[in-house]
Amino acid sequence: MATLVIANLLIPAAVLTFAAGFFPYKPFLPGLAEHDVSERGEMPPAQFDKVILMVVDALRSDFVFGKSSGFKFTQSLIANGAALPFTAHATSPTVTMPRVKAITTGSIPSFLDVILNFAESDTTSTLAYQDTWLAQIKAKGGNLVMHGDDTWLKLFPETFYRADGTTSFFVSDFTEVDNNVTRHVPDELRANDWNALIMHYLGLDHIGHKAGPLSPNMIPKQQEMDGIVQQIFEAIENDPHLQSTLLVLCGDHGMTDGGNHGGSAPGETSPALVFISPKFKSISTGLDSPVEPHQDFDFYTKVEQSDIVPTIAGLLGLPVSLNNLGVFISELLPLWKNERHHVLLLLNNVWQMHTLVKTAFPHEAYEHPYSQLDCSDPSSSGMKLVCKWRRITDIIRVSDGREPAPPVILPALIDFCKSAQEIMSSTASNYNMAYLLSGIALAFLSVALTTTSARSIIFRLNAASLYFGLVLVLYGILMFASSYVEEEHHFWYWTTCGWIALLCLQTLLGSYIKREGISKTIFKAAALLLFHRLVRAWNQTGQKHSGEPDFVTSFLLPNPHTVWILVGVTYFMLSLSLGSHLCRHIPPTYHVLTHIAAAGIAIPAFIFKLSFTARDAPEIVRPVVGESGMRVLEGLSLVLIARAVFLLCALGTVWVISLEVWGRSPAKRNAPRGVELFDALHAILSIFLITQTRAHNVPLFLLFSLQFLCLRDALGLQSTQTQITISTLLFAHTSFFALGNTNAISSIDLSNAYNGVAGYDVGVVGLLVFLSNWSGPVWWAWGGICLLASQGALFGYLALQTLFIAGSLLAIMVACTALRTHLFIWTVFSPKYLYAMAWSLGWHLLVCCYGLGAIWWAMGVS
Amino acid sequence: MNRHALITEKKGAGPEKSDQKAPPSPAPSPSAPITTLDSGLARIYTHLHPLLVLSLFFFRFQATVEDPVTTLTNGLAPLGILQIIYVVLCLPATGSSTPSSAAKPTPKPSRGKKTQAGKGDGGVAGRTVPAMLSHLLTTLLATPLLTIILILFGAPVTSKLWETLLCAAHMSALAIMPLVYVHGVDEGRWWEVASLMSPVDEVFGAAIGTMVGAWAGAVPIPLDWDREWQKWPVTIVTGAYMGWAVGKLLGGTLLRGKRIDLG
Ligand SMILES: [Zn+2]
Ligand SMILES: [Zn+2]
Repeated sequence: MATLVIANLLIPAAVLTFAAGFFPYKPFLPGLAEHDVSERGEMPPAQFDKVILMVVDALRSDFVFGKSSGFKFTQSLIANGAALPFTAHATSPTVTMPRVKAITTGSIPSFLDVILNFAESDTTSTLAYQDTWLAQIKAKGGNLVMHGDDTWLKLFPETFYRADGTTSFFVSDFTEVDNNVTRHVPDELRANDWNALIMHYLGLDHIGHKAGPLSPNMIPKQQEMDGIVQQIFEAIENDPHLQSTLLVLCGDHGMTDGGNHGGSAPGETSPALVFISPKFKSISTGLDSPVEPHQDFDFYTKVEQSDIVPTIAGLLGLPVSLNNLGVFISELLPLWKNERHHVLLLLNNVWQMHTLVKTAFPHEAYEHPYSQLDCSDPSSSGMKLVCKWRRITDIIRVSDGREPAPPVILPALIDFCKSAQEIMSSTASNYNMAYLLSGIALAFLSVALTTTSARSIIFRLNAASLYFGLVLVLYGILMFASSYVEEEHHFWYWTTCGWIALLCLQTLLGSYIKREGISKTIFKAAALLLFHRLVRAWNQTGQKHSGEPDFVTSFLLPNPHTVWILVGVTYFMLSLSLGSHLCRHIPPTYHVLTHIAAAGIAIPAFIFKLSFTARDAPEIVRPVVGESGMRVLEGLSLVLIARAVFLLCALGTVWVISLEVWGRSPAKRNAPRGVELFDALHAILSIFLITQTRAHNVPLFLLFSLQFLCLRDALGLQSTQTQITISTLLFAHTSFFALGNTNAISSIDLSNAYNGVAGYDVGVVGLLVFLSNWSGPVWWAWGGICLLASQGALFGYLALQTLFIAGSLLAIMVACTALRTHLFIWTVFSPKYLYAMAWSLGWHLLVCCYGLGAIWWAMGVS
Repeated sequence: MNRHALITEKKGAGPEKSDQKAPPSPAPSPSAPITTLDSGLARIYTHLHPLLVLSLFFFRFQATVEDPVTTLTNGLAPLGILQIIYVVLCLPATGSSTPSSAAKPTPKPSRGKKTQAGKGDGGVAGRTVPAMLSHLLTTLLATPLLTIILILFGAPVTSKLWETLLCAAHMSALAIMPLVYVHGVDEGRWWEVASLMSPVDEVFGAAIGTMVGAWAGAVPIPLDWDREWQKWPVTIVTGAYMGWAVGKLLGGTLLRGKRIDLG
């Protein structure tokens, strides 16, 4: 037992050590860039004194540039030269916060930012103390104004002179979020007190999440956004105080055909970027618009999203931000009529980037421009950059004190910038191998310790333990195949089928010998398989076929009444089950009262579900409750009801436990405790978990309950720990994917993260995110505990589950290390590692070990 | 026991038993494995048969990939004929030890006698009738059942129903038809087969192999190789054929007479 405890303690150690090496915290250069005129000569003159950054969330390139776009006015500007269009490549992870970081600092945010995206108030993620073009404007005494997505307020606390943040809370809100921004536009255009105005519109992203890029709401929304561009452009043309204002229209990321984002599909990484000002007519005669893309979503010139930063800096006459990896967009250079200024602009860019390069790849040639350097065949990335730097210094040296001719030096400057951008953005060089290997060693140690301490159970060589071995080994192998990581649900659906069949055969064998119950066994196995088939048809998951019709989209959502009947039945069954468990300790006269009390937990939970869904997905509530019902539901305070439900669940738990401890009738006092206690707690836990689940997924818990009953029956009394462990593992994983989760960041559901939370609390929100995304696995973990409770032996369960968790972690760590230069490392394997962290730390250690502790306690009490 | 048999047989269990509701009459006394007929032709053909079936399948593999429905439909008749030839030439018909019941299969409480199978009673012509009967029975009963089981195991429901049905037809011709031929409708024997109590022989082994092979055939489908053959139901049918051949070979030789232990 002690060895097993140590093995479990090694799991968090391994996970965190590996994570520290795999997601290195990128050091950034502190402070603000300053332009030292004595050292680097004059600054090229600013072309604009004000900038309006209009971010339209998830504005994919084809939404602006394509044939079926609603941006007709913007397209006319492109055609007459007043707008310069680009496709700005956004790197994965394509979620809002890292993208805003890239647009403001010019750096490529590390994967750690994804975690921080969900824990936004973490101070390490604020940009208030980093060098951004916002900070540069402020340093020059300018004022900043922000309206829209409050991500900006979290990233830049106390930065804005004036701000109105909107929360992206309910994706069903297409209009309010945007009207909140638009209502400020006329005032801001009149005001003459700001130097940068930032607007972040969320409505288009919400439409995407809700109904995809082909939603009927999409074109009207694009026209609405286009109208705002027109309003601003006309103000720039007509108002004297806005005459040298630059308007930048851009998306932070794109979206897939399913309307989600987070990964690195072409649709997600191709937002639009348009620089707009009447001044551009002097350098551009216009481009065709609308046009067809060169391929996928590539319209016009493709630039990197971070290129926005040095470009805005150059246009506004600001120093380039210290941590920037962007390159000045050369299409805008002709704005400066003097070619000397082109060189100066790029020199600023080169100088700033070479400081970064020096830190990452130190080399003496950066300090000694005359030292010996063999550039015949630069092998490492560091050497390549040194040689490109040497090419620049050589050109300056031969020009002998005079300024080198722009056509000579410009290509060398651009070449250095582009190479530095490419090399510094690829993170392959940033892993800390020592940490990676120690993490693997720790995980291996955990596997080895578990194996030795539980060898009697593991090497028993019966069908169940061989099946366990097969699942573990196959799973380990699959972790090396990117397509199987993306489509992991297939593995669990498949192994669960096999396991049900094997269980059926094992039980049949027993029935055959006893010559009874054969047809019952077959019936139960068929029922288990049927429920399993329904469960897997519920939500289409994975990457390959995402967005294709499934049971929810093709049957449930078009029939709102069915949804609510199923949801109602689920709550009713839970209430009934809880009530009957409580009644066991209560004299028959009070049974009706007890059932009413149980309903007292379920009914508020049901009202919360209705009221939440009225905001989250009004289209499935309105047909059921009508307009007046909608008004009532929208009037309810979600935070208060959620808190009431959580409180009632807690009270119910206390009630169940105290009945069990003090309220046993004398006759039953010697009966084994446990099974019923855990069943009653399971019912309360279900009500809580359903609160954290979207309405259309609630009936899945009804199916889980039916499966659980069949399973308990099929396993019977003589079930082994191995059988219970395998069942728990398989059904828990199946339920995770059946609820619509994948191994990609984009499928993390944040909609239930703020239930009952009024302010912002990282701990509580993090826990709610975990519970709402892992609601199925947590439910099944407790199901496993219920099965175990009747059996009493915990050691084998803990041993086998630890072996599976440690073994799969080991496989994932080795896969991530071996494939660290693989194309898919940031899109497939890194997210998978984050999920593995949640499975091992959250699900295994927190939930399962907690449940085991509860059984242990219950046995101790009795 | 061998891992293969231990881990995965499942589909074989479902179909044959669900159509019989009554509890089994026989005592769980073990019966002996099926023995192939004792003629020289039988001994040669039983090894030639898998080669013929497999080469028939792989010869048409490209066509199966291109147009599964047509090719699998056309493949059913040759497969049926080959299987009928195989059971007639090599296997003892149900109850063949009692001449009266050679043609018309009846529930037979007396098992164990089949072990001395293979006097070739009734001659080839006499055995062809039960062979065709069992083929008919299998196609009519086992194919729909196997289809349902395939769907429960994850076959698509809203599309490709014909593909699934044909896949089930091929599986039942491979796995179930010889079982029906040797066991008839002897309820006791079928319960024995269903609960894997039956000793392994080449017929039972082939049946288990088909089911396990079909199950394992699902593995390559999600891989991102973007090959045409990854589409439904090509891998399942391929898995079933290969599993059938392996199961038949092992069941007839190495594992013959052993029992599957799921403890
Ligand atoms: Zn966004
Ligand atoms: Zn979004």
